[in-house]
Amino acid sequence: MNDLTPSREERTENLKGLGCSRKRVEDARFTQGKGNYVDDIKMPGMLFGDFVRSPYAHARVKNINSEEALKVPGVLAVLTAKDLEPLGLHWMPTLAGDKQMVLADGKVLFQGQEVAFVVATDRYAAADGIEAVEVEYEELPVVVDPFKALDPDAPVLREDLEGQTEGAHGPRKHHNHIFLWEAGDKEATESVLASADVVAEEMVYYHRTHPCPLEPCGCVASMDKVNGKLTLWGTFQAPHAVRTVASLISGIAEHNIRVISPDIGGGFGNKVGVYPGYVCSIVASIVTGKPVKWIEDRMDNLMATAFARDYWMKGKIAATKEGKITGLWCHTTADHGGFDACADPTKFPAGFMNICTGSYDIPVAYLGVDGVYTNKAPGGVAYRCSFRVTEAAYFIERMIEILAIELNMDAAELRRINFIKKEQFPYQSALGWEYDSGDYHTAWEKALKAVDYEGLRKEQAERVEAFKRGETRKLLGIGLTHFTEIVGAGPVKNCDILGLGMFDSCEIRIHPTGSAIARLGTISQGQGHATTFAQILASEIGLPADSITIEEGDTDTAPYGLGTYGSRSTPVAGAATAMAGRKIRAKAQMIAAYLLEVHDDDVEWDVDRFAVKGAPERFKTMAEIAFAAYNQAIPGIEPGLEAVSYYDPPNMTYPFGAYICVMEIDVDTGVHEIRQFYALDDCGTRINPMIIEGQVHGGVTEALAIAMGQEIAYDEMGNVKTGTLMDFFLPTAWETPNYTTDHTTTPSPHHPIGAKGVGESPNVGGVPAFSNAVHDAFRAFGLRQSHMPHDHWRIWKTAHDLGLHG
Amino acid sequence: MELKDEVTIPAPRDEVYAALNDPEILKRCIPGCEELIKHSDEELEAKVVLKIGPVKAKFNGTVRLDKSGAPESFSLTGEGNGGAAGFAKGGADVTLEDQGDTTILRYEAKADIGGKLAQLGSRLVQSTAKKLSSKFFNEFAATFEDGAA
Repeated sequence: MNDLTPSREERTENLKGLGCSRKRVEDARFTQGKGNYVDDIKMPGMLFGDFVRSPYAHARVKNINSEEALKVPGVLAVLTAKDLEPLGLHWMPTLAGDKQMVLADGKVLFQGQEVAFVVATDRYAAADGIEAVEVEYEELPVVVDPFKALDPDAPVLREDLEGQTEGAHGPRKHHNHIFLWEAGDKEATESVLASADVVAEEMVYYHRTHPCPLEPCGCVASMDKVNGKLTLWGTFQAPHAVRTVASLISGIAEHNIRVISPDIGGGFGNKVGVYPGYVCSIVASIVTGKPVKWIEDRMDNLMATAFARDYWMKGKIAATKEGKITGLWCHTTADHGGFDACADPTKFPAGFMNICTGSYDIPVAYLGVDGVYTNKAPGGVAYRCSFRVTEAAYFIERMIEILAIELNMDAAELRRINFIKKEQFPYQSALGWEYDSGDYHTAWEKALKAVDYEGLRKEQAERVEAFKRGETRKLLGIGLTHFTEIVGAGPVKNCDILGLGMFDSCEIRIHPTGSAIARLGTISQGQGHATTFAQILASEIGLPADSITIEEGDTDTAPYGLGTYGSRSTPVAGAATAMAGRKIRAKAQMIAAYLLEVHDDDVEWDVDRFAVKGAPERFKTMAEIAFAAYNQAIPGIEPGLEAVSYYDPPNMTYPFGAYICVMEIDVDTGVHEIRQFYALDDCGTRINPMIIEGQVHGGVTEALAIAMGQEIAYDEMGNVKTGTLMDFFLPTAWETPNYTTDHTTTPSPHHPIGAKGVGESPNVGGVPAFSNAVHDAFRAFGLRQSHMPHDHWRIWKTAHDLGLHG
Repeated sequence: MELKDEVTIPAPRDEVYAALNDPEILKRCIPGCEELIKHSDEELEAKVVLKIGPVKAKFNGTVRLDKSGAPESFSLTGEGNGGAAGFAKGGADVTLEDQGDTTILRYEAKADIGGKLAQLGSRLVQSTAKKLSSKFFNEFAATFEDGAA
């Protein structure tokens, strides 16, 4: 080195690699309206398809008359189950081992279910055509309560499963029963409960809601009859899986199918599964020989696409009178709707619900989940849930609060004495997971200090007295949460989606002039992969992130991967990226040694170059090495500089966090005000702090919506009561408070760069924080459990039922 | 959905009762009614165009009357189908209190709404139903003012 060589710090900074708040490269096109979404795709002769949907939640379809519809100008075809049957496409397999109707076959099972597909020259003609289709329904009794669904005389929903006592996940005990999934030790747990000092028991309900991404679902299917190739653009969070599934169900060979996920306006698990709209568009394109587009509207999206949650979790938590937890028992009734289309890995029909021991060292536990059919839309796993982790975290964080009430203890202290200790990692949980790393005590102390927890409790106690004296009508709630979540699905030996192992991939090619392109098996729906994966690579191979193009989503060019959901991109594809980068560096080392005329072992890596050990003024930058790879004839080394890595993670990763919400509640109006929201996240190595902050802001806002008013509600007839944005709560700037974000960093010991992923954490931690704040405000007046969402009416009613209205 | 009201009609009870059974008068008073056919003393069929919020549709409905308590009271049940817009079924109990030259009409109606209409939310459906109901009774009362009964 000499005085002209930039310092190591400067060179590291120029890379904009790991740890840098690099500005997002995607935002230039998104903020100027120059994104390329599926609805932007316009092709010559393109047709438009849309659905006749059932107004009934449960009914026989006696007849479908398309005569009048076909007379509507612009309408070309009306597809029904009868048209799809010869192709075997009137039903399709779901991700959960069940099957679902593509178009109503004899009956409908939920309001909004697809009955017929009208194909027309434009969306307006299609809408007119839909109104003209005459469907004769015969109403059947509706069941929207999962407990009533298991009554012996409950209506039969799935006549197609009649007599089938074995389901995809084991025995079925009732015609509306789907599966029973168990983990842990039932006997040992029940024994602990029977002899415990204290047992707190409660039913905790996590209500049904919906991710409601800004862009609804859609696709364009184009069958080229000359080449025999099908091209499918769509809102797919897992484009390769869609290609494989499309091939299996259509009979078109996989090399003749090209699936492209263009820009996607938010996925959140709503865009993982295969919808009837995709299948019908493909069939319509094959039948008409023209491209066919299907784009749903907001009511379709809320009514018929993958919802989130709907878990009734009955819990029993045992402890000593000093507050040490000795056992946890959980039985969940899972409302899956009319078909089990839950987007879980195959062996986990209840997702990772068995993370419900949370951040606590619980020696003995049992979990049983009963899945149930009802007359509602199918789905369940979505909305930053990490496969039911949101449900598990809400469950344990509510049970801790209820146990604190039972023990008459401070809830922060109760958590502290039960946290898994730093020395206990890797920690084997009683329900079967090996947590990789964590330091919960440090995070907890940091959080409590940041909000002046002691001061808040004092203020709260004074407020309770003032309320009792009649001096105020506002209560103060402190919502605590320490969550541990599990992401990064996952090791191929136990994680697969429809048999496809959940590895992921990265393929890198370095160009002669020192820039690069990397393609991944994941697909960003706004997470910023084009920005962050370039940063991972920059730190590995010493080329500036600005010189690296990241590409995803085209199955013809991207290496096979299982897509993006459940915060798996950084843990799995991020690992593949680092590993591929290391393969590049290994070859670069040999090229550098050749150029510097020394042995391979005589050079060492320094940020962006290989330098001769002991003679640092002799070096070759990665850019110089790249050109040499195309220019030099190196004995024993192939020309070019590229590498691919398919990464099978050895374990999941376990991000964690401490969230505290300070909330004021007006007892007479039920209106809440969030005074403060503090979110500390530990996602291991932090790739881009600004993007992490963005993820937390977005996720906590979703959590605010879910906890404080958003829901998919049904009446007893199975009508969706919250089918429009008039009733489905989406926070605007008006409702959204300021957030304070903070962090600790406990790297994952098994991940190549120690990163764990953060996308789902804020929703996992946010909902219990808001909900616990509401509960905490009323704790002094006897409240134990009040189901979400905590909208103004429900809070008012809680206050009323506690006798606070005088 | 539940609707309850009480309205004073400026006519003696037997005239009010007769008017309530007159398909011509009903057709004129029911907002959006395009057709009303009296199949028998107990059965009516109607085609009504209904608009609730952004959803507008033509409903085909049948109504059955139970006149066993007439003219003091009677009840009706019915259902209507609006195709893609949804469906409704329900009934009403009506009492007519004789006040000499005027009649106090009281009704209690219950309806189940399904389909797209129901998704718009009960707030919209309830307020629209109230509005339509007022419109009907205003029109109905007006028929007596012109002596058109």
